[in-house]
Amino acid sequence: MFYLLNRPRAEAEALAEAIIAVKDRVRLCSRCFSLTEEDPCAICTDVRRDAGLLCVVAEAKDIFSLERTSAFRGRYYVLGGLMSPMDGVGPAQLRVKELIARIGEDAPREVIIATNPNAEGEVTALYLSKLIAPLGISVTRLAYGLPIGGDLDYADEITLAKSLEGRRSL
Amino acid sequence: MRLTGLTLADVRNYSALEFEPVPGVNVLAGPNAQGKSNLLEAIGLLGTGKSFRTSRESELIAWGMPLASVSGTAALAAGTVRLACTLAASAAGTRKIYTVNGGRVGYSHYLGRLRVVTFVPAHLQLVGGPPALRRSLLNAALSQESPAYYAALANYAKHLAQKNALLRGGVSPDEDLLATYDERLVASGTAIVLARRAFIASLDERASPVYRRWAGGADGELHLGYAANVPCDVPTADAVAAAFTQRLADARFAEAQRKTSLVGPHRDDLEFRLGERALAAFGSQGQQRTAVLALKVAEHATLEAYAGEAPLLLLDDVLSELDAERRRAFLEGVAGVEQAFITSTGAVDTPVAATFSVRAARVERVA
Repeated sequence: MFYLLNRPRAEAEALAEAIIAVKDRVRLCSRCFSLTEEDPCAICTDVRRDAGLLCVVAEAKDIFSLERTSAFRGRYYVLGGLMSPMDGVGPAQLRVKELIARIGEDAPREVIIATNPNAEGEVTALYLSKLIAPLGISVTRLAYGLPIGGDLDYADEITLAKSLEGRRSL
Repeated sequence: MRLTGLTLADVRNYSALEFEPVPGVNVLAGPNAQGKSNLLEAIGLLGTGKSFRTSRESELIAWGMPLASVSGTAALAAGTVRLACTLAASAAGTRKIYTVNGGRVGYSHYLGRLRVVTFVPAHLQLVGGPPALRRSLLNAALSQESPAYYAALANYAKHLAQKNALLRGGVSPDEDLLATYDERLVASGTAIVLARRAFIASLDERASPVYRRWAGGADGELHLGYAANVPCDVPTADAVAAAFTQRLADARFAEAQRKTSLVGPHRDDLEFRLGERALAAFGSQGQQRTAVLALKVAEHATLEAYAGEAPLLLLDDVLSELDAERRRAFLEGVAGVEQAFITSTGAVDTPVAATFSVRAARVERVA
């Protein structure tokens, strides 16, 4: 606020316009429900991406986290939240029906559910797998484990136990 | 394990205190309302991260202060550890910050370092009081013993609250979602059931001889039993999970009708029997009190056996509630503890390692 008061009027106008532009131009992609200026979004229209892999996330911001890894070359789907009947959020409040319809159309070979590793994320992932697995599509979930560069000594027992459960052969 | 040093800052009536307890029995003596229980509560907070007196933990922060902090050094079998628990008042409630050796940790990583067994007058109602009182004793002990138990309990409580919201109609009914909650409840509930079963078996084994020694054989044998809401004779994860799943399936219609969950370890109980009779219904007040004392001795011994070292014993004003004979018997029962803290308004008739006078938030060693 004080910073802006000391800047030229033109700068404040530019900022105001930018804010209005966000409101006017940014909308939801009709395919994946991520935020975009063009509909469908750049990821949904990118033919180099693998349409056989569909990654389901809770919020659009999760796509940005996953994209920073450059490790995933499939497509996304934004559910719009996590199951929480206490907060009035059930299947009808999330884009569950639309997800099943999308899977029916695209027939991906694998659906990856990338929800947070907390109680709500866990239930949402299991619920979706109940609906998707009967369609004959493989459903996976992100692994739980140790942070890279971490120290076993500092890992909490729960994470360590989950890492043991999800161990891999070398 | 034992506490070797304790520092309080703005905790209840203590603006600043340095306290150096000794091994063995530490008596905190003095008239009422001088700070004996506050000091004991602070030791409990350092160990468990929770107050044993109140759920409104903002009360622990001295009036008008932003923070309260309890820190201390404990000598464990594994070495010395420095612990600190800081309470911060904020508009959203009381926030707690835990550190171990100066590093900030989450609650599940903090709990269980310095273990305590607490005995307060309210525990004398354990036999005849509501089941929630007995479940909370089991939960407090097992959560300190095992981070996995605490995680399962927290997970179970979250899924149970969500399931109840679903049954109440917080969102439109959905069979698949209900089944998902039931599966998660079975997963965490199974861990809870198995841990409680083993723990209660150990309590039973240890409490019976203690009771016999105090009461003689005339009363009959004291037995502690696990009144599991999901009965299962085979103590394996698969068997318990199968029994719980079946019980949920059987209760599904009733749960939908009553709009709340009706089965699971949140309805477990710990039962006291004397011979074949239920102590709560048939026992005298005296028998019930003796049984509670035996249970507390057994709780301490079980936690010691589980961890390989004895937890601290915190007794808050409980001795004055007992007659002379029970007081002597109980103190004999805990005479071997590595370290105990006892608040008392009068003299304590047991060998004591140190007596501290507590007056107007000043603590001085007097013997």
